[in-house]
Amino acid sequence: MMNYILKKLGHLKVLGLFVLLNFLALTVVSQVRISGKVTDTKGNGLAGVSVTVKNDNTGASTQADGTYQFTANLKPGKHSIVFTAVGLKSTEQSITVAGGSDYMVNAQLAADPLGLDEVVVTGTSTGTTKKQLGSYVSTVKADQLNKGATSNILAALQGKTAGAQITQNSGDPSGGISVRLRGISSISSSSEPLYIVDGVIINNATTRVTNTSGNYDGQNFVGAIGQNRMADINPADIERIEVLNGAAAAAIYGSRANAGVVQIFTKRGSAGAPVVSFSSSVMFSKLRKSVEVNQSPTKFGGPTDGAGAQTQDILTPALTNTTAVNRYNYNDYIFRNAVGTDNNVSVAGGKDKTKYYASGSYYKNEGIIKNTDYRRYSFRVNLDQALGNKVNFNIGLNYINSFSNEKPDGNSFFSPMNSINIIGNFHDLFTRDALGNIKAIGERGRVNPVSIIEDIKQQQETNRLIAGMGLKVRPMKGLTIDYMMGIDQYSQRGQTFIPPFAYNVSTGFFGGGVSLDPTLNGYASAATNNFFQINNELNGTYQFNINSDIASTTQVGYSVQYEKNSYILSQGRGMAPFVQTVNGASTLIQGADERSELSVSGYYAQQNFKYKNLIFLTGAIRVDGSSVFGKDQRNQKYAKASGSYVISEHKFWQDMALSKYWNFAKIRLAYGESGNLTGIGAYSRFNAYSSNSFISRTALSSSSTLANTNVKPERQKELEFGVELGFLGNRVNLIANIYNKKVSDLLINRFIAPTTGFSSLLDNFGNLENKGFELMLTGRPIQNKDMSWTITGIYNHNRNKAGKIGQALTLLSTNAGAPVSIIEGQPIGVFYGAYFAKDANGNWVKNASGFPQGERGIQTGALAYSVTRDANGLPITSNPLVRTIIGDPNPDYTATLTNEFTYKKASLRIQIDAVKGNEVFNADWRTRQGVGNGKEAEKEQTGVYPRGYINSFYGTIEEWRIDDGSFVKLREISLSYSLGKVKWFRDVTASITGRNLKSWDHYKGYDPEVNSGGQSNILRGIDFGSVPIPKTFSIGLSAKF
Amino acid sequence: MKNNNIKLLTLASLLAVGSLQIGCKKNFTDPSRATEDQVFSSPKGLTGVAVGLQRVYALGRASTLYNLITINGLTTNELFVVNAGNTAELQLGTGGNLVDGNNSMLTTFWTTCNKVIYDADLVISNAKLLGDKNYASGLIAYASIFKALSIGDMAQFWEKVPNGIGTNVTFIDRVDGFKKAITVLDEAIAAVSANAISASFSSSIPAGIDISNTLNALKARYSLYAGLYSQALAAANLVDITKKSTFNFDALSLNPVFETATSTNNVVQPKDSTLGLVPALAPALNDGRILFHTSINPTIAPRYRINGFYSGATTAIPVYLPGEITLIKAECLARGNDSTNSKIFLNAVITKTAGADPFAVGANQPAINSFGSYAVLLDEIYKQRCIELFMSGQKLEDMRRFGRPNAERKRNLMPYPLRERDNNPNTPADPAF
Repeated sequence: MMNYILKKLGHLKVLGLFVLLNFLALTVVSQVRISGKVTDTKGNGLAGVSVTVKNDNTGASTQADGTYQFTANLKPGKHSIVFTAVGLKSTEQSITVAGGSDYMVNAQLAADPLGLDEVVVTGTSTGTTKKQLGSYVSTVKADQLNKGATSNILAALQGKTAGAQITQNSGDPSGGISVRLRGISSISSSSEPLYIVDGVIINNATTRVTNTSGNYDGQNFVGAIGQNRMADINPADIERIEVLNGAAAAAIYGSRANAGVVQIFTKRGSAGAPVVSFSSSVMFSKLRKSVEVNQSPTKFGGPTDGAGAQTQDILTPALTNTTAVNRYNYNDYIFRNAVGTDNNVSVAGGKDKTKYYASGSYYKNEGIIKNTDYRRYSFRVNLDQALGNKVNFNIGLNYINSFSNEKPDGNSFFSPMNSINIIGNFHDLFTRDALGNIKAIGERGRVNPVSIIEDIKQQQETNRLIAGMGLKVRPMKGLTIDYMMGIDQYSQRGQTFIPPFAYNVSTGFFGGGVSLDPTLNGYASAATNNFFQINNELNGTYQFNINSDIASTTQVGYSVQYEKNSYILSQGRGMAPFVQTVNGASTLIQGADERSELSVSGYYAQQNFKYKNLIFLTGAIRVDGSSVFGKDQRNQKYAKASGSYVISEHKFWQDMALSKYWNFAKIRLAYGESGNLTGIGAYSRFNAYSSNSFISRTALSSSSTLANTNVKPERQKELEFGVELGFLGNRVNLIANIYNKKVSDLLINRFIAPTTGFSSLLDNFGNLENKGFELMLTGRPIQNKDMSWTITGIYNHNRNKAGKIGQALTLLSTNAGAPVSIIEGQPIGVFYGAYFAKDANGNWVKNASGFPQGERGIQTGALAYSVTRDANGLPITSNPLVRTIIGDPNPDYTATLTNEFTYKKASLRIQIDAVKGNEVFNADWRTRQGVGNGKEAEKEQTGVYPRGYINSFYGTIEEWRIDDGSFVKLREISLSYSLGKVKWFRDVTASITGRNLKSWDHYKGYDPEVNSGGQSNILRGIDFGSVPIPKTFSIGLSAKF
Repeated sequence: MKNNNIKLLTLASLLAVGSLQIGCKKNFTDPSRATEDQVFSSPKGLTGVAVGLQRVYALGRASTLYNLITINGLTTNELFVVNAGNTAELQLGTGGNLVDGNNSMLTTFWTTCNKVIYDADLVISNAKLLGDKNYASGLIAYASIFKALSIGDMAQFWEKVPNGIGTNVTFIDRVDGFKKAITVLDEAIAAVSANAISASFSSSIPAGIDISNTLNALKARYSLYAGLYSQALAAANLVDITKKSTFNFDALSLNPVFETATSTNNVVQPKDSTLGLVPALAPALNDGRILFHTSINPTIAPRYRINGFYSGATTAIPVYLPGEITLIKAECLARGNDSTNSKIFLNAVITKTAGADPFAVGANQPAINSFGSYAVLLDEIYKQRCIELFMSGQKLEDMRRFGRPNAERKRNLMPYPLRERDNNPNTPADPAF
């Protein structure tokens, strides 16, 4: 028996040898050594240029002096050697292998300001040059990302890419950031782009593991608040980012990419001696702008604290007596000057077929709110290994640990910001009773800000591992098969401890009320969120030349993605003093145990034809399916097509006299479809009963949302047209894109008649549209050996509109009281409410008491009404207030102006961002007047306004809370000086950087940019207790050896 | 294209398609929720949904109960808004045309009422299919209480009420709404009398609600509101007024008025010791019920605070008060021209001491021997109802029944929520006031 097996094996061996010999017979190769030098147009050696044999695996990168060398096994005959580098025009040189063993190939690379020859891999698997692309992909390089004094990759991307509106929603040290590429692409799900790091799809969810109890925000709709998980990615590891704005170019990423793709590439090693790089910086942050506080020497009514205390006097117009008070500025108490540090070290190198990059990073930054901070450790290893000539293997591992000390977030009245917004500024916060305890604030059970800053502990920690493995096989000339598997796994853990209060705090804020009820006083929670995602992608690409003019690239691919999430919350109130865990609670509050699983899979075929360097055509079809949708709707087909035409490549153009001034012209057109495969929750299509504990029994309740099991994914169709122009030898470049992005089968959780038994129905209603254009103009007025000046202007214009949503108006009730609505024919998220009656000059109409009046009349539709005024021009009070759109959080445009100067070894970069024409619902500003710490309240208390003025419209006219959200910010300013070689260090660079140093705006609050609705699609432009974004200075040093 | 290329292309395609076989599972089920089929096919599931009815009805600021008490209290001057930042409360407290279809409290109230009716219908119809008839009668009776309450509560605020659950439901007159609630209660009473509620059912629901007495008490209440006085009297006579029937709470599920208003002193509080009555009808200052329903804070404003059934986190809220039953009897007799017997019941409430009432609600006032006229007698019944039933959500109906002038209230009937109007063409026109 054994013999038989051995014999069999023997046969196999023989067979294997035979096959091998056959291969050898087919391909007689010889080993050759290729070397040379790559220089710029001035003859200086260029480092880091990639030199490869076309359609082969072998190659190397140039050393610091521009030289390179490698050995390759090549068949005799003609071969092309390709030289590519970021920011430089690629070039090809041919060699003919014929017997010799040494070949010398030199190349000269010219600057490529438009990046036309830059290789872009987003949208393809093997890469293509920008020149060929039929749709817009922008590339942001490392040196543009690390000049902004931020360690959040999304913040670093602000103003660097056309078509993106990137908003930091909170000034917390790890505050959430939302990215909108060409507007909002969905209502019920996230509009954040798909994030990919080195081929691994990574999760950017906002999951609250702190601020978990519904009490924090009154069980209301608050949006998506808190850290989003892109905060874990260390910008220092990044080599470049490619941003793909629209669906048109995204067939390879399938339907998850309907809000665009942000693809991040981290640094990789190159052959040569190990290079150790390090950078270190210290950051100083402080409040950029505070708000003025009431300085009136008196208030209405009785004392501020203790017996007979009477707060919110402004809103109690019956009080007319006054009491002298001391005024305080609590801003001085909650804010501080914060310090932080960012340290990175990396080693990169490689030899022959092995290349590596390894890095470690430590980042810590304090928040400008006392006792808040964020700390992150990050380690990364990227390894590239060639296995013979035809197989490349790479692996990347990134471990991140982050920890933050937080305070309750803005949407609660016990957040630092809201705790000072909700009280008059006449309480002495620090008085203590005989036992040394701080005392109650007024009579309303508000939380003393001192308790929040000193006593409330809220922490959050994340452990994350992002791992990716790729295999690229080139079995024969022209064919590439690559396989990628990526895992993103993280666990978030949050904990809260609110010690029992020694004074009257409302039970709604986890106090014990007047009686200090021990079963209610204090709160503790612990929550964990575990996320696991795996993606598998297999792509095959075949390139060949049909004839000397036409080349073809065919691509097929298949992908499977699976994700699993589990969230556990345990919480309790009525805390025993000193015990900080939920065990210490006398009353356990209903916890949570939520689990979900989903999978997405798809396959596609894409065909590309290239005619000379003139015309490029691409067509693709993709089929995708997602487990969140029912069987019948699961698999959806999406098509795309694009073409580009480089007119200036024509001979006639190049021969024209004009071509001296106008050297480059390209037009492109793209159409693409995509769907929103994760547009609803894993189980949202089911109607089911959820359970709660109720008086020691189990209560089952049907959802407030009626689900349609046959719901289907949203479908997006985008048409994009673009031009790319170069003038004066690319001294001036213009890129312009115009697009129309339509979403049909829009998923809306729409209100339905409550008499159906449900409040809303989740179904495919209506549509959504984003129309707009993007302009990017680059000029290089000075470009010589010692000095350069580059100006870049980006202008984004987007118009968003909800169409046929099935009902005229959907008014959402939100925590901040913001009347956010979805109105047919209007942008998503406009503010809708009552407004002030105005006279012909636009001034408020006032009645005999001197009180402004709300406009009244007969409302006949969501936006249709007739106004009724009496003989004196006053609104007729027997008629109801009329409502209309009073504000829009969508800007008219966003723009960025960047100036970069270099003079010898110094360089200066100044970036100014503008957001114009948007409104903010400034809930905090109104609150400050109502509780008496704002300047309007001061006017009423000092008699500038008649008594009762504020109260007369406080609760009824929403327009009073609408504020001008436009701003121009000095986003980044960075001055660096290259010291060159210092002792055994080289590339020593010192820099001073500022971020958000100055804002030019008319906003009445701290910062018009923040949003208390966090990363929500719908709740935008709401200021309710959000921490303002600080201004930051940073001093840094970087070097290599 | 060379042959070779075609072969390779085919091979690559096959490879890609081949990996489809790896497949990917796409049928995931939600472990944290129960499907409709599971819920409605078992006694356990049905009981869970029935308990859920009480939870939706009674728990939290979004509950029917909180909104019933607060909307009613603000509209009828029992309560005032402590903080004008509570927009919906402020609109109701101001009244008139400031209360419109956007009012979030009215919308919430309308929504929870219909939600309870929706799930109660499913419990009742599926309970009938159960083999254990004694368990089923408990389910039917318990669910019917919440269904009847929800219909009756809506009929108090709106001129017309939905005639059931469904798409584009039609509306019936509010009096027919009360009659519909009575029909629900009658069916429940019939189910209980045919098959006594089993002990296993009684132990499966939260303690507090006395099902049999509640069915009759609510029948008496809604018969009175529908003007069916003899039926109301008959039902009231079947209620054992020594028994309590309550919505209970515990440290986890808090009394909704306490949680939102009492403990925060930031939403609503009682107006004053008149309990919102006009001076002519205001309670005597030594009426024991003033200090039952309110407490006095001598130092911190406002002086009068919520007390009584909303004084603590776990204080139980009565489904109906024994005093209400006695006053129903008094009113039915008065309206049936039996002033003599009416007076006996009315005086029973006027003279009742805290010790004699299961809930310790006691006026402890001297009996009134003569009311002079029929009108005065009715006024006294109205007055006693307002005091005895302070903050129980019944006053708006009383004001209309006793013909109190509109000036005494902020609204007579409520506008229909826009969420209904926008999505149901059968929504009736809004009343002017």
